[in-house]
Amino acid sequence: MRFSGSSLWCRAALLAAMMLAVPMAQAELPSDIGLKPENVSLPPMSKHWVWVNDMVFPHMSDGQIHLFDGDTGRFLGMVSTGYSGHGVLSPDGKTLWSAETYFSRHTRGTRTDVVTVYDTSSLKVTAEISMPPNRGSSIPVVGVSGVTDDGRFLLTYNFNPAQSVSVVDTRANAFVGEVETPGCALVHPSGPRSFFSVCADGGVMTVVLDDTGHVVSQSHTDPIFDMTKDPVTEKPIRIGDVWYFVTFDGDIRPLHANAKGVTALPAWPLFSSEEKKAGWRPGGVLQLAGHAGHKRLYAIVHQGPRDSHKDGGRTIHVYDLESHARVQTIRTQHPVGVIAVSSDDHPLLFAASPEATDLYVYDARSGKLRRTVTEAGTSIMYLNTR
Amino acid sequence: MKWLDSIIEGSTRSLARRSSRRGFLGGLGALLVGAAALPLLPVARGAERAAAKPAGTAADPGDPATCEYWRHCAIDGFLCSCCGGTQTSCPPGTEMSAVTWIGTCHNPADGKDYVISYNDCCGKSQCGRCFCNRNEGDSPLYQPGQSNDYNWCSGNSSANIPYHCSTARIVGVAE
Repeated sequence: MRFSGSSLWCRAALLAAMMLAVPMAQAELPSDIGLKPENVSLPPMSKHWVWVNDMVFPHMSDGQIHLFDGDTGRFLGMVSTGYSGHGVLSPDGKTLWSAETYFSRHTRGTRTDVVTVYDTSSLKVTAEISMPPNRGSSIPVVGVSGVTDDGRFLLTYNFNPAQSVSVVDTRANAFVGEVETPGCALVHPSGPRSFFSVCADGGVMTVVLDDTGHVVSQSHTDPIFDMTKDPVTEKPIRIGDVWYFVTFDGDIRPLHANAKGVTALPAWPLFSSEEKKAGWRPGGVLQLAGHAGHKRLYAIVHQGPRDSHKDGGRTIHVYDLESHARVQTIRTQHPVGVIAVSSDDHPLLFAASPEATDLYVYDARSGKLRRTVTEAGTSIMYLNTR
Repeated sequence: MKWLDSIIEGSTRSLARRSSRRGFLGGLGALLVGAAALPLLPVARGAERAAAKPAGTAADPGDPATCEYWRHCAIDGFLCSCCGGTQTSCPPGTEMSAVTWIGTCHNPADGKDYVISYNDCCGKSQCGRCFCNRNEGDSPLYQPGQSNDYNWCSGNSSANIPYHCSTARIVGVAE
């Protein structure tokens, strides 16, 4: 409210109002002690919530996942996820699982690996499931852990450096066992009882489980990806039954995946040949995002040499998943290396940089920046949306 | 240098320097499958006694406490040279990982390519000094032996997981 120098009447009115308010201002405030409830309840779950996985790289033993409401930018709460935590949301969104590592003396002592179960309506720990201490510790990409399509079995990638996958029964809250995946890394769910891992030779191992979480079958394909000439990154996204992988040079290599195995679908490029010659390529940590209903794929892109494949950018290209045409370009004010899109019909695009602390919230359809959330994290590496 | 960031997209390179981090080696199986063209030397390399080697010499040019040092072409982590150690040895009280990832770096002094083993030093929290991420020849996590996004403080009996810093040790001339 601003007054001009001549608005004396307004000043007089304000003075009168202040005088009237004096008795109210002098009244003592009631005690807060004993006030119930002592904890704020979360608002109803929203598709515009985003779970910001913060690796806290300077202090990795203090991993965190922060919850924000994209519609308001409000910080709703957080959970602590120990060393190398990695969040996975249940299909109904009511549960957040996080595979975590702890040491009895913070950075030494007895190592304990657990899946911690969080209630997303209260952010309280409701269960803790112990596993053999074999979890891999890495950049928290999508395949570090995952859940079967029906939410029954949580799958976590092990690397010590032998490779395997731990299976956890989320109904019994119990560790089931380990599936050896020699030469193959990460977990990519492909149905209610199946997942696949990508192998160093470019082949794919499909694992099928029974209703107790034990292995029914394990199969290995011949090389599908050329991991020497133009490798696929370990940063694919899943839309329906298709996992969309992207190569260092910017070709989408889709895999249709289910319990029967994987089928390579036709590849398509993110860039024209001229753009590729000019050095355009995808980059970032969480560099792809998608929207199933709108049939859209979002990719962070930049110009740089082959070894810039982890670099973020200020450009997000949007592609039509049916025509493969680039239908939109979103320019960001700051470099971003992490993106995710909510699944609702009015989706939000969340973007962040691992080296910055802000979270940017865009209208995913118009590409307009709706808000910037400051102090969203220290090392933002991964986002959970639904 | 925010002004620089606004000039070119390439400036986002600095973003990746901090965004990828931990590197280690892959499982033995992965290494055997995926890195057949390279010597199988990185595995169990850390148990060797590290001899102090002079750097900043005509034969080994550059400052090991800088990201630009030639051996750092595929490193991802805090430089042990800034953490109380050297490019070949761990800081006091930490333990070298027995497994690791490798890169191939060009020595400008003799014009040869060398296989570099980036053994992590483990057992304390992060050093927090001289973070450096360069990704020449870096592979996805699917190919562990050349991926610097794993935490290679893994598999040691007494230094299992807590990561402190990374060394850059010459394995030999790449063939």
